[in-house]
Amino acid sequence: MIMDRRQQAAGDAALSDAEFRSAVREWIAANYPLDVRNPPRRLRFADARPWYSKLAERGWLAPRWPLEQGGLGLSIVKQLILIEEQEAFGAARINDMGVVMIGPLLIRFGTDQQRARFLPSILSGDHRWCQGYSEPNAGSDLASLRTEAVRDGDDWVINGQKIWTTRGGDANWMFGLFRTSATPKKQDGISFILVPMGLPGVQVRPILDISGDDELCQVFFDDVRVPATNLVGEVDQGWAIANALLGLERVSLGLPKYSAYSLSRLAELMEVTGADQDPAIRDRYVQLRFDLDDHIALYQSFVDELKETGVIGPGASILKIHQTELYQRITEMMLAVAGEDAGRLMPMAEDAGLFPAGQFFVALPTTIYGGSSEVQRNIVATRVLGLPR
Amino acid sequence: MSSTVERIENARLIRESAAFVVSADRLRKVRAARYQIPGFDQGDWRAFADLGWFGLRLPESRGGTGFGATELCALAEQLGSGLVSGPVLSAIATAPLAPDEWVDRVVGGEAVVIPAWQEERGIFGEPPRTHLCAGRLSGEKRYVPMAAGADAFLVTTRDGLAFVARDAPGLELSTDLLQDGSHFGTLRFVDAPAMAVPGDFGGVREEITLATAAYLLGTMRKAFALAADYLATREQFGRPIGSFQSLQHRMCDLHIQIELTRASVRRAAGVLDDDSTAEQRQLAVSRAKARASDAAMLVTRQAIQLHGAIGYTDEYDAGLYLRKALVLANVHGSAIQHRTRFARLSGLGATR
Repeated sequence: MIMDRRQQAAGDAALSDAEFRSAVREWIAANYPLDVRNPPRRLRFADARPWYSKLAERGWLAPRWPLEQGGLGLSIVKQLILIEEQEAFGAARINDMGVVMIGPLLIRFGTDQQRARFLPSILSGDHRWCQGYSEPNAGSDLASLRTEAVRDGDDWVINGQKIWTTRGGDANWMFGLFRTSATPKKQDGISFILVPMGLPGVQVRPILDISGDDELCQVFFDDVRVPATNLVGEVDQGWAIANALLGLERVSLGLPKYSAYSLSRLAELMEVTGADQDPAIRDRYVQLRFDLDDHIALYQSFVDELKETGVIGPGASILKIHQTELYQRITEMMLAVAGEDAGRLMPMAEDAGLFPAGQFFVALPTTIYGGSSEVQRNIVATRVLGLPR
Repeated sequence: MSSTVERIENARLIRESAAFVVSADRLRKVRAARYQIPGFDQGDWRAFADLGWFGLRLPESRGGTGFGATELCALAEQLGSGLVSGPVLSAIATAPLAPDEWVDRVVGGEAVVIPAWQEERGIFGEPPRTHLCAGRLSGEKRYVPMAAGADAFLVTTRDGLAFVARDAPGLELSTDLLQDGSHFGTLRFVDAPAMAVPGDFGGVREEITLATAAYLLGTMRKAFALAADYLATREQFGRPIGSFQSLQHRMCDLHIQIELTRASVRRAAGVLDDDSTAEQRQLAVSRAKARASDAAMLVTRQAIQLHGAIGYTDEYDAGLYLRKALVLANVHGSAIQHRTRFARLSGLGATR
């Protein structure tokens, strides 16, 4: 097995980025289970598992993990290529909290024991992870979180509530931030702890969202006892650990693909409705088209820079801001062009891909999750532009 | 043709060699030349020639450096950040069309050759009516930038390109001053002696348009930097005003527009330097000029707002950037004209 990994790693590393891309494209087309292509919403784990396992077997589930941890040790650019090609094909987004978030975090900050225990279970899919960061009173101001973990003998005892936990009901493990000390600087008293979701005292309640989906959850903790060995890093050092890995999220939420797809739907809608005969509407469309094309050019220049530096800096925040806001402007124009049909609860009769309100609601939360546009702008202003705090 | 890597390296070298034009002294020169005829410093022109700029688009066989649009845009960006006036970019892009007996003087900075191709407001209208018949040129050209500084004009006609000296009999020149201190010339030809020259102006026109977008990129970046400095030092309510979130978010939005412009211009320069079709070039250039025009107006206008009252004075430099953007955003096609051309070329709304 490890020998196979080594061969896969050497083979993939030897390919140029362009060769790697075409190899990935070919492999996805040959191996993706077609019955779940272009799913309208995120799949439950059971439905995504065959694809998850295929990726794991090929080594492309966790391509950037080091070889000795079950990865291929590939570059961040090749990891992005894998994400881009899956998106382009319409592959379902797998639950990547394990491979993208907690896995790399344990590789960097965990103990040998933690790595041995958790990393193989991520690759096998036996552990499905969710992220326990936000709380009802700790959103953008995450450091004010209050769900507490109190040391009692060999255990942490957890009480409180997390919210906006994506796919909380589908996960059997949570990595989260918990208050372990009341310190003057609120960032200083937070610890990073791993919590099995099946323990007594853990209760998960789905939240029905504005689009009719229920993938977001509330998670309640009532005297939940977790072994002390589930602490990652030092006590009260969780804040720095959690912040070390946010770059990839900014880039992946800045992928042009979401806006590109919705713009193609807008063009189709303009043709179907005849709105493309109106010069004023055409001008607005071309503005959006330029925004998309220039976003693609901007995204590409980030990837080029990444090839040189290997580090995603705070500058990547502008990709997330611009992509998500463009996505919303496109879907808002779809509503405007659709006229009366904008209000439909179901897709338009002409074409199942024409669903202005549906697309609008998918775009709507993108400027909120993954760090709101407002928080991202704060980051750019202070950390990129150097404006005074 | 150079590889992309070579072009990027060339562009870096050009940026460095052009850095002196953005020195502190530059804006004093810009102010001194404002509203004057011809409106640019002849000494500067020679200095530019010494740096090899006028041969940038000429092949080495004709005494140039054989550089492409990527390098031209790198230079344009620097000129824009220094608000360097004069028809430098037009002259560089037009040099390959100059007649052989003029090329050496153009490259050496001894002769200024400016293209004259517009006859009406807006650039995507009718083909030229100016005509060249038996060595005599008749017609009218308008919106010729810095025309009073030219030694000769390259004129588009319905009969191909014509080359005419500034002092040719039958050529009458009048000028109109512009907000940035430069001027447009109107040229009236009545049987003016002219020479037919081979070549096509279409590609050169696209290049000048893209270079103008790159110039605007430099201008808006400089205005942005001026505002960022001010926000860090100006205090009100006991704090630097740059610490206020509403201003921070606005600066972030301007930064995004600047970065989009940079990416768009770089991409379009790549398209011009590649083996692309005329249509691909026009699409990419329209995209870049539309972005640059809108972004430059936004950024330079906001630079005034972010400064408050001091920004509205003539003494303060912020206004120079806005006046430049106001003029260049609307020459070589405004944003809306370029979006209209893009829609037409890409077949949007074509009758089905």
